[in-house]
Amino acid sequence: MSLSSRMVVVLTAVGLLSGGFLASVGILTKDRIALNRKMEIERAIVSVVPGSVASETLYEEKDFIVYGGKNEAGALKGFAIYTSGIGFQDKIILMIGVDASLSRLFSLIVLDQKETPGLGAKITDRTSFLVYWEDKDFTQSFRLRKPPAPALESLSASEVNTITGATISSEAVLNIVNAAQEKARALYEEGRLSFGGAHAE
Amino acid sequence: MPSRTAGQDFLKGLWQENPIFRQMLGMCPTLAITNAVINGIAMGLATAFVLIFSSLLISLIKKVIPNQVRIACYIVVIATFVTIADRFLAAFFPPISKSLGPFVPLIVVNCIILGRAEAFASKNSPGRSVIDALGMSAGFIMALLILSSIREVLGSGTFLGYRILGDWFEPWVIMVLPPGAFITLGILMAISLQIERKKGER
Repeated sequence: MSLSSRMVVVLTAVGLLSGGFLASVGILTKDRIALNRKMEIERAIVSVVPGSVASETLYEEKDFIVYGGKNEAGALKGFAIYTSGIGFQDKIILMIGVDASLSRLFSLIVLDQKETPGLGAKITDRTSFLVYWEDKDFTQSFRLRKPPAPALESLSASEVNTITGATISSEAVLNIVNAAQEKARALYEEGRLSFGGAHAE
Repeated sequence: MPSRTAGQDFLKGLWQENPIFRQMLGMCPTLAITNAVINGIAMGLATAFVLIFSSLLISLIKKVIPNQVRIACYIVVIATFVTIADRFLAAFFPPISKSLGPFVPLIVVNCIILGRAEAFASKNSPGRSVIDALGMSAGFIMALLILSSIREVLGSGTFLGYRILGDWFEPWVIMVLPPGAFITLGILMAISLQIERKKGER
């Protein structure tokens, strides 16, 4: 066999074997990876909507999904809004839990972020940031308190503290929540967040 | 210096030819992911898996591969194992896969692996290649562990996620940021050179 045909044969064989092998690995792991993702979302929904044990997708578009959180009896306990926006470095993905009439924000969690470790990444930390996002008024836009208020109690129902040294990341979360609030309200008023035919339990 | 026994094949990866401190290969993952010990361990193990299996396979098929296309073949073999490692982590260890991000796929271009394929596996028997790969992996994991332990303890006050320094400790944020990686690696490199120099004087 000439050298060039040998090169072609060897490269083709190596490529085919590797491709076949990877295809089987892909098939074997595909379901599990999809399941992991689904479970991560499900866990997030249950944790931001108190009393919910299961969920249902009510509205879906690119990077904006509204889930309905249900209790054991299947009644709607609130909505979980999956949304995202640009942070200091990259996309920040949030899951926001609100009640069934969109008047209170239960809590929110950060599903994904690539903010600066030690500074902006504090947005994932409960004591330094997420605690300000617990049990808030969801009927009006949120505002950042700058400089941060010393005590949790001195913040109004629609105010949240800024992380010192990470204003941009704090603002990014604020803007994502405010945008999601507007969008969810519009959908709600159009009646597009219907759940099993009814708005709420 | 050429090694002769299996023991030498293994041990040279730990010190004499340590991929990080002596050969200075694979700097990208070393600097990027050593901000937490768990990431260091995961990256070390993933790289070890790829290194061991690709060394073995390349050593087995070295006679069939024409010299002109060897690099292309090595890269395909390496990329195959890297993809397996990546899928495996995503399927069974999603949090680790998430925190390592793009650095798992980037093992493909980790010079340690192609370097060992070219410098060792393509010239030696499969058995010796595996031992060499084991030694290099151990050296790599050791280096990542040292680096990530220093960075996590000083940068976050934790070790493997557990708080080991009390509340009095204000974490040195710089240590978990890229500059901390360069500073720590530089100091470790200086220490290892100093040790080597002392050994030379004796």
